[in-house]
Amino acid sequence: MPFPDSALSDSQRSDRPPSSIAGIMHANLPGGVVMIREFRGDLSITVKRETWAAAAVLLRDHLDCDFKLFLDLCAVDRQGRVDRSERFEIVLHLYSVSTKRHIRVTTPLPESDPRLDTLTKVFKGANWFEREAYDLFGIVFRGHPNLKRILTHESFVGHPMRKDYPTARRHAPGKCAERVLDVPQDSQGMVVNLGPSHPSMHGTFRVQLLLDGETIVDAAPDLGYMHRNFEKMAEARTYWQIIPYTDRLNYCSPFMNGHGWALAVEKLLGIKAPPRAEAVRVVLSELSRVMDHIVCIGANVVDLGAITPFFVTFRAREAIYDVLEACCGARLTVSYVRIGGLAQDVPEDFDALCRKAISAAREVIDQADRLLTRNVIFVRRMREVGVLSADDALSYGWTGPCLRGSGVAYDVRKNHPYSGYEQYDFDVPTGAVGDSFDRYLVRMEEMRQSLRIVEQALASLPGGPVIVDDKRVALPPKSAVFENIEALMNHFKLVFEGILPPAGEIYGYTEAANGELGYFVVSDGRKCPWRVKVRPPCFNLYQAYPRLIKGGMIADAIAIIGGLNVIAGELDR
Amino acid sequence: MTMRLLDVFRGKFVDPTYPGVHAGGDVITTRLDAVVKWGRKSSLWPMPFGTACCAIEFMAMSASHYDVARFGAEVLRFSPRQADLLFVAGTIPDKLAPVLKTIYDQMPEPKWVVAMGVCACTGGFYRSYHVMQGIDEIVPVDVYVPGCPPAPEALLAAVMKIQERIKEGVRQSEPQGAHRLGASGDAVFDRRARRAAWAADDDARAKQGLAPRGVIAFGNPASGVQAPDGDRD
Ligand code: SF4
Repeated sequence: MPFPDSALSDSQRSDRPPSSIAGIMHANLPGGVVMIREFRGDLSITVKRETWAAAAVLLRDHLDCDFKLFLDLCAVDRQGRVDRSERFEIVLHLYSVSTKRHIRVTTPLPESDPRLDTLTKVFKGANWFEREAYDLFGIVFRGHPNLKRILTHESFVGHPMRKDYPTARRHAPGKCAERVLDVPQDSQGMVVNLGPSHPSMHGTFRVQLLLDGETIVDAAPDLGYMHRNFEKMAEARTYWQIIPYTDRLNYCSPFMNGHGWALAVEKLLGIKAPPRAEAVRVVLSELSRVMDHIVCIGANVVDLGAITPFFVTFRAREAIYDVLEACCGARLTVSYVRIGGLAQDVPEDFDALCRKAISAAREVIDQADRLLTRNVIFVRRMREVGVLSADDALSYGWTGPCLRGSGVAYDVRKNHPYSGYEQYDFDVPTGAVGDSFDRYLVRMEEMRQSLRIVEQALASLPGGPVIVDDKRVALPPKSAVFENIEALMNHFKLVFEGILPPAGEIYGYTEAANGELGYFVVSDGRKCPWRVKVRPPCFNLYQAYPRLIKGGMIADAIAIIGGLNVIAGELDR
Repeated sequence: MTMRLLDVFRGKFVDPTYPGVHAGGDVITTRLDAVVKWGRKSSLWPMPFGTACCAIEFMAMSASHYDVARFGAEVLRFSPRQADLLFVAGTIPDKLAPVLKTIYDQMPEPKWVVAMGVCACTGGFYRSYHVMQGIDEIVPVDVYVPGCPPAPEALLAAVMKIQERIKEGVRQSEPQGAHRLGASGDAVFDRRARRAAWAADDDARAKQGLAPRGVIAFGNPASGVQAPDGDRD
């Protein structure tokens, strides 16, 4: 039995505007709008490539649109697809905080001339995303200030995300690029590399700095040192098989990535997980959020030279690991969600384990609070450094604790509740100045709020199954497989043929520890997705990093990067 | 038996696992070599080259709960020049490979390498265009720790394995997979077949005057795309 409503049925290719945005677009860009569709609640507008930049400006500035938050920009290769005339498509995702709406804008690009106007002048965040589309697809953005490879290494040949590029074709790497930064001829400054292996750059980041004494004059990050091709791998995996890969995106809070992926695919399928599964997902996601913030704060203070808070806070992580380990057997890479629910029910002592984790977390949060929040050295290092205003934060596409630190109270859990977040009572903390200290305070408070949510969810944990009763999505119970032929065949078919969703494209999003984690999934009705694009919250955060550190001291640069919590696995995917 | 500090010097306590040391009364006789090895094995200075998810479990190993200090390897050094044990914890994409090589070269002799996690061992489940298929393509590895990620206990076991190797004086001197990278004697069957197929494909395309698949040759009239340089401001 097929899933209902295909995305591209003709009835939906109409000019009947599904909302007022369409009216605005038609009125202001006469002839520029090709198609307006709505699928699973996602509004998608296709414009002509000539009106691409104009459409973006209109959506940003028109008072009734107000799409100021830049989320994502990516390319899709449609080679060999009959439903599209042109090979490439560029997809832009925007959000309006005031009207609480997402929007997708697309434009087709022919293979013979894959060029498009740049949006770097419209959204500050577009810069790296366009470089990524150039690197992986070979799309050329006219007027881009620095159109160079961003994720792959310098000796790479070709554009690997194109459909005709073999997944495993490697190119022997050359040496690291020596110059990332444009240094003016007459500059007297000194060029210094921070990274890619530097004790204070967590993981594998590299920033090249131009210094005047200890003051940073200019900075340019170099990415891709952890580019391990999640998106290309996902195109050759079934919807289930992608779950383990999602764990490894933001590996400080693996469960949340899987949660987001499951919700995205469920949105594509038009199904909903049972209440018990949703409640357990919320419990584990919130515990993961605590874990993530602990790493962020713990590692940040290590960078500042204090090791004690690190040892203190890591104790709570072990208690949370115990919960995850009891549920699924793994500590870090859990792979516990399934499309439509969870892999198995939680153990009997789930409640007790969670309560132990909660009290452990409470204790270390209070202890860290006492050690840090009024600690003069810590406060002086964090206050008034790395300030970003709300407007700039939106334009860079910041989300999550960092955006809230800049004073914008956008939280997906509040604005678009999923998995039953509307039932729980919690507050969204925001900062006032937008400096590193605000981001720290927001994280501290969020941990407390998360623990509140966990307590509420545990108190009202519903009974019942943990996975949907739907033969097209969920495997039958193992006992049934051994006993009757229907279940055996069902199992066989599902494993071999996979989940077959309807053709269409959706953008599923959740509030991960670092911000809005989005999955843009394009399905052509087969068992593997046609294209998966992750909207990694870190990518946008890190993009503003040079801006935050310019004019400051080197020591500030270290204090700032820890507070952004950039995770390499998610940044470079 | 309770051990007091002076007992060590009096020879009442010696490492029982250590055959080179003989003690009795107030005198310890041994070979210099054995003492040096004993010292080395009990004071490893690891350099964590933590790149991805495995680094998180590495942190867990070094933090309070698992406490690697019990094995004398808690002095983490973030500079390769001060370390003798390299922990490669995480995926090594091709872009990072030269960095890893530099770090290894900068470590003073004698040095040991642990490949932590399947990514560092073999590339793991990232069999793709930008990921090194095991660090032994470029550096020698002493102990491989499988797992994705390995549990901290497994890492502690790796530290003990290294200690054993130090005691016995065993070391890797060559990158075991050096022959693999693009060489004709490629030992792994599927990679070899794949490479051969690509090469044949590239040749066939070259005969028709086409660039290899997935490559846009800027300025090549066949692909119809102009160089991006002219498009920049
Ligand atoms: S082995 Fe697994 S956990 Fe370790 S870096 Fe690779 S993917 Fe991450």
